[in-house]
Amino acid sequence: MEEHKNEYHISFFKPTTEHARLNRNMVIWFVLIWVVAIFGFQLALYVLQKPTPEPVLKTFKASWPAVSSGQASTQELQDHSFATLSVLGKVFIKPEYRKVLDRTLSRSVLSLCDSAQKVDVMANIQDFRAVIASIDASQARIDEINTKDALSSKQKKEKIEPLQKEINAGWEQYSIAKEKLVVQLTPILGLETTDVRTRILPLELTSSLEPLTDEEKMIVEKAMDLYLIHNQSVLTDTKLFGFPFHYFYTAIFLLILFVGLCWLYCVRTDKINARLNVVD
Amino acid sequence: MMKKIILPILLLAMPALTFAATKSQSLEGSFKVGPAIILITILTLFVLVGILFRAKDTNDYYAAGRGISRVGSGMAIASNWMSAASFLGMAALMYGYGYHGLAYVVGWTGGYVLLLILMAGQIRKYGKYTAADFIGDRYYSQGLRAIGAIIAILISISYCVGQFGGIGLMFKWILGIPYGWAVLIGGSVVLAYTLISGMLGVTKNMQIQYVIIIVSFLIPLFILTFKFDYMWLLPQIGYGSVVSDTISGIPLAETKQLVNSLGHEFASVPAPEYAMPWDPSTGQTMFQWIALAFSLMVGTAGLPHVIQRFYVVPKARDARWSVVWGLFFICILYWSAPAYAAFGRILSANPEIGKLSKDAIVVYTAQLGEVNPLIVGLLAAGGVSAAFSTVSGLLVAGSSAFAHDLYVKVINPEAPPKRQLLFARLATVLMAVIVTLIALLDLALIGQLVAVAFSLAGCTIFPLFLLGIWWSGSNKAGAVAGLITGGLISLIAITYFIAGTQEIVLPFHDFVSYWLEAWYFAWIGAPLAILANIVVSKLTKPTPIEIRKFLIEKVHA
Repeated sequence: MEEHKNEYHISFFKPTTEHARLNRNMVIWFVLIWVVAIFGFQLALYVLQKPTPEPVLKTFKASWPAVSSGQASTQELQDHSFATLSVLGKVFIKPEYRKVLDRTLSRSVLSLCDSAQKVDVMANIQDFRAVIASIDASQARIDEINTKDALSSKQKKEKIEPLQKEINAGWEQYSIAKEKLVVQLTPILGLETTDVRTRILPLELTSSLEPLTDEEKMIVEKAMDLYLIHNQSVLTDTKLFGFPFHYFYTAIFLLILFVGLCWLYCVRTDKINARLNVVD
Repeated sequence: MMKKIILPILLLAMPALTFAATKSQSLEGSFKVGPAIILITILTLFVLVGILFRAKDTNDYYAAGRGISRVGSGMAIASNWMSAASFLGMAALMYGYGYHGLAYVVGWTGGYVLLLILMAGQIRKYGKYTAADFIGDRYYSQGLRAIGAIIAILISISYCVGQFGGIGLMFKWILGIPYGWAVLIGGSVVLAYTLISGMLGVTKNMQIQYVIIIVSFLIPLFILTFKFDYMWLLPQIGYGSVVSDTISGIPLAETKQLVNSLGHEFASVPAPEYAMPWDPSTGQTMFQWIALAFSLMVGTAGLPHVIQRFYVVPKARDARWSVVWGLFFICILYWSAPAYAAFGRILSANPEIGKLSKDAIVVYTAQLGEVNPLIVGLLAAGGVSAAFSTVSGLLVAGSSAFAHDLYVKVINPEAPPKRQLLFARLATVLMAVIVTLIALLDLALIGQLVAVAFSLAGCTIFPLFLLGIWWSGSNKAGAVAGLITGGLISLIAITYFIAGTQEIVLPFHDFVSYWLEAWYFAWIGAPLAILANIVVSKLTKPTPIEIRKFLIEKVHA
């Protein structure tokens, strides 16, 4: 029995045939390449990375103490608005951060206006918000009508048509109101007309002038750090085929390597099998 | 034969398609005629192919008669693999989490290297129909066969939930109906299709589906790179500059009057968070990246419906080469998916666009890029095809586990083939109902839901196959110990995940949710299950001589 036990024993690490030994060696090499290529590179990224702020964070840090204490100069208010808009223009921001950033931006923008401008800007912001509210209300009515099973298609169409006209007119008003704010505020903020932030500005403004609480000020600082500091290194800053190197390596090269490893494994296995007369 | 099917369908659909080209306007909400016609045409084609190549007996139903070529099998592997998670979910994860999303790209491709060098040929040589068959025979236990079958069913259900979510999203987009109805309708169609065709039809269909999936995915990408003035001849490389532009921002002065379909300029503020590794704003860490990639890779090598594909090739050599072809075909899509995320990021940068459903970002990107509505419709239909091809494979794997491994091998070995087929079909219906009910809850992103199935497979089936093939010392007691360990970790992780979705706070919630998150708990579950298997095997009665002899003479000969 004991003899049988030894005779019929398979262990990857203790091959008993030439074929098994060659296969084991090949598998170990392939797994090593695979591990180092995937996880070794990520480890290198981690070791080399340094928290790197976007240039605009420096602008924010320089202006924030004065803005926060309500004693900012025109330049500081403009810098603060510019920095805040740089974060608000990002695709994903937590709603709680967006709310506070909108308020600090609005306060800075309104502080940059003289009394007459302020009244005018606030009225324009309110007009713009009213247009948005009206479009939303009409859309909500349409959605409500669409969900009413009791109405026939014809009845639904009759009810929806005037609402749709209202929405179309609303969008025209929306564009006018938005452009009015852009034209009015771009010079006040010292922005260039070709700056993408000018397109974001009207959407983020509120007409509230209430000062930020200490807690909200901390949120502003936290949000700016969170969205403006990134892990960068020589691997992320070097370019290859237009990609940041680390991105090319992970998204493109690793996949090429995987296909290459699989192809090589099959070719080598076929050769080993042929050499040792092993038939599948 | 195929020409006879495809040509009349295209001719019938052509007039309607011409009319429909001017209709599809909005990102969401309305019924889109063109995309709907394309979808119906493609589904009709699938069903016709399914009927023509339908399963005639159980051998056909389970393993397609083992008559599929290497390249054909590679295409089927790719089609089976490229699910809604690959087609829609991956771009969604990169769109939302930036570099962290690349862990899915690496995890879902790197696992094939493991699968090939550790298992593919040996699985074919073992010569069993299903994963549970292997487990039951290798570990000489009917109980383990039953448990293997139950795990295979659970994995199939878990995997299908994300797919049904993707089908629901695309049906919602095309038909302009609420998500719930879309899941119900889409689920019913995929169920009918799987029941009609069985696996032989599925395998033939998978080759057609691969072509549709890849063509529908690539065409909009060529258009987007061409339109927005990037290197369009090879968009998989050309989008590198899109990533760099996202990082540095695109000033209005440099947009060259390019706008999205809603009239917003092709401009954005600098967004390095999109591409920088584990950026703080994404809330993801390096550990999570590594754990996720590892879990997806070991999960790949443990998924029953993937393993099952190696039974349908004639020889072990074919099994190996079909992996190479399969992975190459898969990579064509995986090289391309990040491009959609990058374009999506810039095209949706204007806050006026509002919050978009991440899982539909592939389609939204094509829409925002003003790609012809018919091509966007083809893209959406490609998404549905991707989900269909995977779901049918999963439902077959799950129903095989029930009818073949549980019913015939454990409960009623004398069951005639007709009854086996009946039970397989009943199991398919039951699974589809369960999956639909869970999918309606809309628990997480498609890619994340699918990742749960990978971790579950990585903790349970992967250790059994790995040790079962490579170490004859692994015995029944060891397998039970490994299953208990892997199962326990899976149970904890999934319990905390479900509790989280219901806003129930369990003890050590933050700790467990971080270290054992539902998408990557196999990082620790798989090694611990392997360790438990080895330790207990060493301490208990050795594997019977017949099994060891079989391993030497058949599997490693």
